[in-house]
Amino acid sequence: MPRPKTSPPTPRERTERERAAHLLNRFAYGPRPGEIDRVLEMGIEAWLENQLQAKPASDPRLQSRLADFDTVDLSVKECVDYVSQVPLDREAPREEQKSARERQRQPRNELKQAVALRAVFSDRAAEEVLADFFRNHFNVSFTKGQRIYNQIPDYDRTVVRGNLWGSFHNMLAASARHPAMLTYLDNYLSRRPPNKQELKEIERRTKRKTGSEERAEEAVSIALQRGLNENYARELLELHTVGVDNGYDQDDVITTAEILTGWTVDGGRKGTQEFVFRPEMHVKGEKRLFGRRLSEDRDDGPGQGEALLELLAKDKRTAEFISMKMVRFFVADRPPQSLVDKVTRVYRKKDGDILQMVKTIVDSEEFWAAENRRNKFKRPFEFVISALRVTGAEIENLRALENYLNGMGEPLFMCDDPTGYYDTAESWLDPGVMALRWEFATDLAEGRVRGVTIPDTFYAQVPEDVPARLWQHYLTELILPGGAGERTRAALATVTSEYLDRKKVPDLFDFGPTLVGLLLGSPEFQQQ
Amino acid sequence: MSSSDLSRRRFLQFTAAAAGAAQFGAFGDRLWAVPKAAIPGANLGGEGQALVVIFLRGAADVLNMIIPYGDADYEAKRPTLASNLADGLLKLDDTFAMHPALAPLEREWAAKMFAPIVCTGSPHTTRSHFDAQDWMEFAAPGNRSVREGWVNRYLAASETPDASEFRALGLQQLLPRSLRGQYPVLAVPSNSGKRRAGKTLDRFEDFYGDGTMLEGGDSMMGPREDDAAGVVNSGRVTIETLRRFQQIVAEGERTARIREKSAGTTTVSGTSYPDSRFGKALRTLSVVLKAQEGVEVAGIDFGGWDDHAQEGGIEGRMADRMSDLARGLSTFAGDLGPLMEKTTVVVMSEFGRTVRENGNNGTDHGHGTTMLVLGGGVKGGKVHGDWRGLNDEALYQGRDLAVTTDFRDVLHSILGNGLGFESPKGFFPDYKPNEVKGLY
Repeated sequence: MPRPKTSPPTPRERTERERAAHLLNRFAYGPRPGEIDRVLEMGIEAWLENQLQAKPASDPRLQSRLADFDTVDLSVKECVDYVSQVPLDREAPREEQKSARERQRQPRNELKQAVALRAVFSDRAAEEVLADFFRNHFNVSFTKGQRIYNQIPDYDRTVVRGNLWGSFHNMLAASARHPAMLTYLDNYLSRRPPNKQELKEIERRTKRKTGSEERAEEAVSIALQRGLNENYARELLELHTVGVDNGYDQDDVITTAEILTGWTVDGGRKGTQEFVFRPEMHVKGEKRLFGRRLSEDRDDGPGQGEALLELLAKDKRTAEFISMKMVRFFVADRPPQSLVDKVTRVYRKKDGDILQMVKTIVDSEEFWAAENRRNKFKRPFEFVISALRVTGAEIENLRALENYLNGMGEPLFMCDDPTGYYDTAESWLDPGVMALRWEFATDLAEGRVRGVTIPDTFYAQVPEDVPARLWQHYLTELILPGGAGERTRAALATVTSEYLDRKKVPDLFDFGPTLVGLLLGSPEFQQQ
Repeated sequence: MSSSDLSRRRFLQFTAAAAGAAQFGAFGDRLWAVPKAAIPGANLGGEGQALVVIFLRGAADVLNMIIPYGDADYEAKRPTLASNLADGLLKLDDTFAMHPALAPLEREWAAKMFAPIVCTGSPHTTRSHFDAQDWMEFAAPGNRSVREGWVNRYLAASETPDASEFRALGLQQLLPRSLRGQYPVLAVPSNSGKRRAGKTLDRFEDFYGDGTMLEGGDSMMGPREDDAAGVVNSGRVTIETLRRFQQIVAEGERTARIREKSAGTTTVSGTSYPDSRFGKALRTLSVVLKAQEGVEVAGIDFGGWDDHAQEGGIEGRMADRMSDLARGLSTFAGDLGPLMEKTTVVVMSEFGRTVRENGNNGTDHGHGTTMLVLGGGVKGGKVHGDWRGLNDEALYQGRDLAVTTDFRDVLHSILGNGLGFESPKGFFPDYKPNEVKGLY
């Protein structure tokens, strides 16, 4: 394969390349081969403008990969139906049971793969990064159990991805009524305690059914325990909107839970599997929260809860909390207060318009400041995806990759805690973790990650006439477009001279993988 | 204070710690030192005592573990979850019984080395998992300026010139928060002893070197001298300690295999570790502790205890988890044998759950919890703590177990008696030292 001739960039070009690299690091999980040049051709502003809009990814290869998945575009109901086409019969032969179990897991596995593939291959990766942020903010998790498997694909598509270009309020409202969130944080179970009449009815029915006084009494005492489940209400305040300890107390949590009683899922075999408001579960009456009256919905509908979500979305504390999290995610673990204030103002002026907030961040001095470049420690997902992107890796399947993500502690959609995965170094940088990253780096470079290969075309970016002792510089430019530090350069030089001492006829396809593995495991590549 | 101020402050403290460590070589000097020869017992911290902290994440429903079957209000408040002696509860005294899933611990109870302490918890009444966990693991309730784990602070405060370089382990990918802080602690997933990681570590040694960041040369995007995120430091600590860890595990496994071959069982006691993440972590830990290479503290997280729904009583999801816990603990205790007299295991959770079940066969966030202490010379075979019953007046806000023993009293007692460590003033901020009566 012919290799293109290149000459080293001038200082001015270098600055521009670094800007492009920074942009791609923060808004695209890092550059793909040739992507920095494409950004520079388009111009940074135009590239960003093109990224930040509602428009599907156009890469035909990605589209054909996604087309392989049967379940990612299904509604919850469709997904339930799809899975039940191969019903699980515990009496059936083992093989049949196995295929039924595989079918049950299919929505989960396909969604994880689709998300990873989009992150690696999408030509509109900014959308993926933004989805990543909100996916963790409004976390739901497959760890909740099988019921949620059929709900999360639709949640990710309609709640998270479907609201990226709208307002925070829209996404909040969509999450609150989605079966996945209702299930994950148990709100579908939350209801007012039964009244006397209902208890009598339960007693009468049980007695008729069982003929036993005792059983009827027991049924009544069980029914008496039914009531509020505070789980969602608490996290709604603490994690989704105003932020922990931010001027609310246990009574406010209870009020919030009461307002949201009746917000449940029309489950069951014949149900729509969608959100439904059940007035009979709702704690009726006017409520007061944060000094505001929330009157009862006159049509016996979910209006009170909707008013609550609007109240929360408009709350100044929510604006501050979301802005702080966004700046922390896109700029620095220690979010510059000046920028947080700016984004908060935009949130308040533009009704929580997500795109406007993002644009405010990218347009800021803080975003581009030298101290905020390559200062964010990559989460495991960011690390793995950026390694696959920068090497132009070809992916046949993602099973092995998932094992690495598990090992590093960030399997997709598996964060048990409603906090979602943290995005600050503090949470990820334990001694020991680095070993897993190095292992992935060398395994990827040396072709030991099953189903994933770095193509020859990657190495072909190094011009043919470059002497072997300079390969490291070209590969560094490809993998660390911001440049490598002195220590890394010196270490690469040592490895190179050891190789050249050993081999009479150096071969890039033999030695290149060693260098690439080291570059992917270098301190510089751990940061973005 | 706005939340952004808050996280800014948290971060500042964290980086200050990391930067400070880099600057003064606090990590470096210790870790570059040649590991001491393996003389059994010779380089153990203190008198060879060890501490294992197990954190049940999600707020375990302790009333379904150490069950107050004898309490007049118990069954009425838990119509579907309650069980009684006839259901197979294991009687401890006239008030309490163990859930049958905890049966493996009967042996330790009988040997008087297992001590539950009821109605323990934090003076802070937050019902947020995340705040409660942080504050419990930093042992600084309500105090947002403390960002180092209490175990990590213990390591720093108890360090002696001849202490091992290898005092603490987190047996999982990421450290439990109680072990986080300036003092270097290694996170080791249970398989990291077996990886062909040795070669990988050698390869990256030059890249992470001695922990100082060099100036990024001609590029403004090169690595910065302050190593803001602490990547280089973390890498170097990884290399040094993981090497040592692999060595210890390899040697320990060899000894264990010889013994297993002759005894025919997985452990001395004849029981086996559960084939779970928790079981594997304990197995690795026992190998390391038995190697007596100076490991003094270890932490393991056990997640999934947030039983808002379908918790189950005698059988069910929580029972399965308890079985994993008890089999693991009892096997571990048997496996360590006489070493268990010097090893304290403490099992804790961020808070308890509501006394009343919630109608979804589950329980919601509550307040008081129960701590379990095993080994280390604790006076077991007795339920400790000040129990005031389950009637509404005795409960906190009429719904949760009240806290009658500060969890720091338990930690303070363990540090003092189990580890021979006299905590300096202010070790637990805003706390007046107090021992749990009769625990030792």
